[in-house]
Parts: sequence; C-alpha cells; structure tokens
Amino acid sequence: MAMASERVSLWTREGALAALILFQAICASFFLVDVLEDIRDTGHFSVLLNVELFANLGLMGAIVVEARVLWAMLRRQAMSDRALSAAQGAMAELMESQFRSWGLTTSEADVASFTIKGFSIAETAELRGSSEATVKSHLNAVYRKAGVSGRAQLVSVFVEELFEGPIGRGAKPQQPGV
Amino acid sequence: MAHQDTLHTDFPEPKAEQAQGAHRVWDPFVRIFHWSIVGLFGANALFTSPKHDLHHYIGYTVAGLVAARVLWGVIGTRHARFSDFPPSPSGALTQLSDMANGRRHAHIGHSPLGALMIYNLLATLLVIAGSGWLMTTDAYWGVAWPKEVHEAAVNWAEISVAAHVAAVVFESRRLRVNLARAMITGKKVFTGGRR
Repeated sequence: MAMASERVSLWTREGALAALILFQAICASFFLVDVLEDIRDTGHFSVLLNVELFANLGLMGAIVVEARVLWAMLRRQAMSDRALSAAQGAMAELMESQFRSWGLTTSEADVASFTIKGFSIAETAELRGSSEATVKSHLNAVYRKAGVSGRAQLVSVFVEELFEGPIGRGAKPQQPGV
Repeated sequence: MAHQDTLHTDFPEPKAEQAQGAHRVWDPFVRIFHWSIVGLFGANALFTSPKHDLHHYIGYTVAGLVAARVLWGVIGTRHARFSDFPPSPSGALTQLSDMANGRRHAHIGHSPLGALMIYNLLATLLVIAGSGWLMTTDAYWGVAWPKEVHEAAVNWAEISVAAHVAAVVFESRRLRVNLARAMITGKKVFTGGRR
C-alpha cells in the first residue's frame, strides 16, 4: 500500500517527455545565449537575429506546453494509482467483512480468498501447506456458510457487490428531454 | 491542497521521508566547498580578466576544490558521499511527480533533482577548468576550440546556477525547509513537516 510516492520509471511516456523537455531546454538556453551575445556584439536587432529569436521563442513555447502536459500526466498517473489502491483496499475490506458476517474461521477465510483469487484446490493446498482434503473440507464449509453452490457463485457474490454501487446509482429512470 | 495532503497521509510511508525537526546534514567541508565555489566562480565569470594570472590561479583552485569534493564524495560524511545521492532519473521523475501532486516529501540529504544538478555543476566546472588550462598551454595556444568550449561551458554553468538558485527557492517554499540556510549552518530544519 505504499502508493503515496509511487516511483516513476524513466522508461515511461512521462520519462521520455521529461528527457525531451530537458534536451530542448538545453538547446533553447544555448540558442538564447547566442542571440543575447549577437545583440550585445552588434548593438541592435537585425532581421536575421529576429528570425533566430522567433525560432527560439517557438522552442521555448513548445517547452512550456510540454511541461504542462508532463505536469498533467504525472497528476493523472498518481490519481489513477491512488484510485487503484483505494479499489484494491476496498475489495480486501469488503471480502473481510463478508467473511466475518458468514462466520468463517481464519483458515476458511484464507481458503476462500485464495479461491476467489482463482487458485485451484491443489494450489491452495500448496500455498497453505496443508493437504487437499483439508482445503476441500474448508471450502465446503465456506460454500455452506455463504449459501452458495460453488466457486463461481462465491465469486459472483463479490462481483455483484462491485457492480451494485455505480450501476445502482446510475440506473435512475431516464428523464425525457434532458 | 488540504485535500491532497489528507489523501497522502492516509497511508504509512518509509521512515526516511518522515523528516521532522533539525538534522545535521552538511559537514564543514561541504559548506566551505559550496561557498568557495560560489565566490571563486562568480569572481572569474564576472570580475577577473581572463588574460591575468589571477583568473588562472582561481581556475586551478576551483579544479582542486572539485577534485577534493570528488574524493570527499567517496570517503566523506554520510550525506556528502555520492552513494547517498546516486544519479537517478527515476528518482528525479518521482520528485517531479511529488511536485505535480502537492506531496511534500522532504529529503534529508540531497534530493534526486538536486543530485543531478550537483553532478552537472561538478562536470561543468571540470570542463571549464580543463578547457581554460588548455588555452594556456603552448600546444593549444591560439587554437579555437578550447576557447569555444570554455565559453560555452561558462554560459552553461551560469544557466545552471540560475536554475539551481531558482530551484532552491522553489523547494524551500514548497517543503518549508530553508535550504539556503542549511548550506550555511549545516542543519536542515523541517518546519511544520507534512500535515
């Protein structure tokens, strides 16, 4: 859950954009120094200098635009990271509270969450370091306590829960003409 | 702002980022080095005549100081060592992301962006001193490129210094740590911290 400061890799679009901005900023600064020196040496603007200056202004304008885009990308990325962990946290919480309300034991809750995550009985047994028979009996207890017929229905309890919020709220009758 | 900070502190964070109170970070060598470079580079860039010996002696002194700083980066105190601030593009991007998202992660030693600036300035100073020295040698006396490199590197150093000062002001305000004062007293005082 350490999403507060998710590391941003260089090998992302954000990294590429930052590298491009840095490169262009270096070019722009050299260009600007050149223009300033020319003005100092000649003491006036010439048409050629103005062309140079405008080219540089264009470059600097692009840098500003790119910097704003990078800023927005970094914000969006952090926001989606946050939303994802919030959703992950909420899902785990939801599962825990549901397991409690079904009155599952700790082992049963463990087996239930492995099952929901898609592990087979054999895999669950290996992960928990118990025999397949034990896992099966835990699983039967889970199905019985939850009142479901099997794995698919167990998963669907939570899938339904996930859909309920947004769809329930969004499923208001359509107002005609709005 | 308040909204973002609330979201941010909902989650536990690595210990290193919970900077609170005063931390002794910059040893006397680092501080003397920093302000010597400020004075000597400023003098050569703005005041001394390139034709005079003084300009050359100051240049050699800067080169010697940078060499000493590099050595100190290997054997020095904790936050002076290069291993404490390795060049890290992804760290720098993460710091940019912190800025964009209003997350205040104060770094006890050098920040990743600050570290990149240090490497940039150290390398640029060496290029300036090296090309300047070449201009005084018999073999390269009157050859155009050392002079061009020397002048371009000085321009680059001046731009870097401007960016460095602007970044220090910006980060001091953002993180509520007086970074310039820390380079004088050696202590970073984290006021207010993260709320």
